[in-house]
Amino acid sequence: MEAIIQVQNATAGYNENEVILNNLDFHIRQGEFVGIIGKNGAGKSTLLKSMRGFLPLRGGKILIAGKDIAAYSQLELARSISYLQQQVELTFDYTVRDIVTAGRYPYKKWWQQQDDDDRRIAEACMEYTDVLGMAEKPIRSLSGGQRQRVLLAKVLAQQTPVLFLDEPAAGLDLFYQEEIFRFCQELCQRGKTVAMVVHELNLAARYCSRLLLFRQGRLLADGLPEDVLTDEILSSGYDARIRSTRNPETGHADIYTEAAPADTAKRRLLDTIIGSCADGQKGGEAL
Amino acid sequence: MRYHRKLTAALLGGMAVLTFGFSLSAGQYDLSFIQVAAWFCHQLGLPFLQDVSVSAQQEAVLMFIRSPRTLVGFMVGAGLAASGTVLQGLFSNPLADPGIVGVSSGATVGAVMAISLGINTVSMFAMPAFAFVGALLAVFMTIGLATRNGRIPVLTLLLSGVVVGMLLGAITAAMLVVMDEYKLQQYLFWTIGSLDYRRWEHVLMGAGPIVMGIGLMLLMARHLNILALGEAEAKAVGMPVVKYRLILLLVAAMTTATSVCISGSIGFVGLIIPHMMRMLVGPNHKYLLPASVVAGGVFLLFCDSLGRVLIEKTEVNVGIMTAFLGTPYFLYLLRKNSSLEK
Repeated sequence: MEAIIQVQNATAGYNENEVILNNLDFHIRQGEFVGIIGKNGAGKSTLLKSMRGFLPLRGGKILIAGKDIAAYSQLELARSISYLQQQVELTFDYTVRDIVTAGRYPYKKWWQQQDDDDRRIAEACMEYTDVLGMAEKPIRSLSGGQRQRVLLAKVLAQQTPVLFLDEPAAGLDLFYQEEIFRFCQELCQRGKTVAMVVHELNLAARYCSRLLLFRQGRLLADGLPEDVLTDEILSSGYDARIRSTRNPETGHADIYTEAAPADTAKRRLLDTIIGSCADGQKGGEAL
Repeated sequence: MRYHRKLTAALLGGMAVLTFGFSLSAGQYDLSFIQVAAWFCHQLGLPFLQDVSVSAQQEAVLMFIRSPRTLVGFMVGAGLAASGTVLQGLFSNPLADPGIVGVSSGATVGAVMAISLGINTVSMFAMPAFAFVGALLAVFMTIGLATRNGRIPVLTLLLSGVVVGMLLGAITAAMLVVMDEYKLQQYLFWTIGSLDYRRWEHVLMGAGPIVMGIGLMLLMARHLNILALGEAEAKAVGMPVVKYRLILLLVAAMTTATSVCISGSIGFVGLIIPHMMRMLVGPNHKYLLPASVVAGGVFLLFCDSLGRVLIEKTEVNVGIMTAFLGTPYFLYLLRKNSSLEK
């Protein structure tokens, strides 16, 4: 498959003195489900923002379908890449239908209103993510998982070949987390390209076709999940002792952190926090 | 919870008819509802209520005093409510209002300047033009002061509005000090926010900009919906945020400035009407804007008519009425809605 996004020696940051993305060089091919992993502050969200054109590069280039991202208009980019932000804070209580229909914005001239086509597409997206039944409900009355499915429907209504999702599964329960990954896998099997910032490594191992591990704004590892999710690579990526084993029953990766060696200073601090029974100052006497 | 769009539309339609009737009949010169209806039918040549008599004097009152006043009242209320709705959507901030973001005080400075320079006697459109420029300068000043890293937090917006309002109040006061008595009277005439002595020339002066402003806002409802989702979401669907904010701000400033010119500064309509309508029809501007337009007109007409019948032989100015009704609602909003504190 051809490269749909090419990142060439890209460097970016929010202000002059700060480099968040440091000389990155990789490409993403059509149909890939790329999981972007790394510890907090590694530059994962910044990378998505740069690749979507929200954050101008300080050096290097990003090409979308072979054309420099800077040469695209805002509307052209919105028709090529949809973007789900990490946190969507809404001031007003729009209905589910209002939110999903917003995804049709890039396809209209400024004076045009929504037509039957837009409504049909929005409804198909709502039905696919199982929120059509709540179309007329205000979004703030929904649970976290339902809300995330609404936002996913909005991103789908944008009908872009590429989807960027910034931690779409954060804060969701086990079922919804897995559902999001399943949705994305299906989309990629149908030719879409998904780049998703992920913290759920076990799910990433099962569903993503490729993982990019970032550390301090640099690309530390890039490859198939089984090649990236090794003890050695993960431990250096997350600056912690991480173990990756394969579950013999399911065959899936099982990733967990190993307890750090006992630290006497920490243990002494904990003694102070919990309090010793002998000094008589412990709270909760009634218990 | 669901929104009640059809019910609200029916209610607003009914209330509009009633308040028009109330406004045409209320006042020191006694006219009954039936007489008003009969006059209306006679004017349109409808074959109803032909047995109800309306004297020539009553006709004159209806034609030259009550009708223009009613139309001006409805137009101003509709314009202020529409501008408030647009400003709230534009900044995705439920406390933005023409008064709060400085549009009204800026328009006042412009209008006073036109009066003190005597330009208002040269052309009917001089005062609205000055008020428009004043409104724009004020709103840019408020927004400029309140913007932090591309965002406009509610608290800083309110504080900046207060600061700009105080500055503009001082400028207005300074101009008033050096104004002669005749001009001072002209100023006082409309500054309290009144619909008294509003004639057909005021209807003509306001109709163009206010109707055009509301029309443009309705045309751009879809863009307003995107802006109201917040800047990040708007950019994600490819909207040139700055351009649309600027266009809508210009339209809202033009509409408010015209309203302020023909009726003086009337507070709270732009704040409470959009808020109430949002609870009934939801925040989608395709429904919210028309609802606010009608509700704003109805509310202002109702306040004005009530002010005419509340105390015998005296008239309570509409600006005072809206402030009395609006202040408690504003306080209630501030206390109830904890999300406003972000």
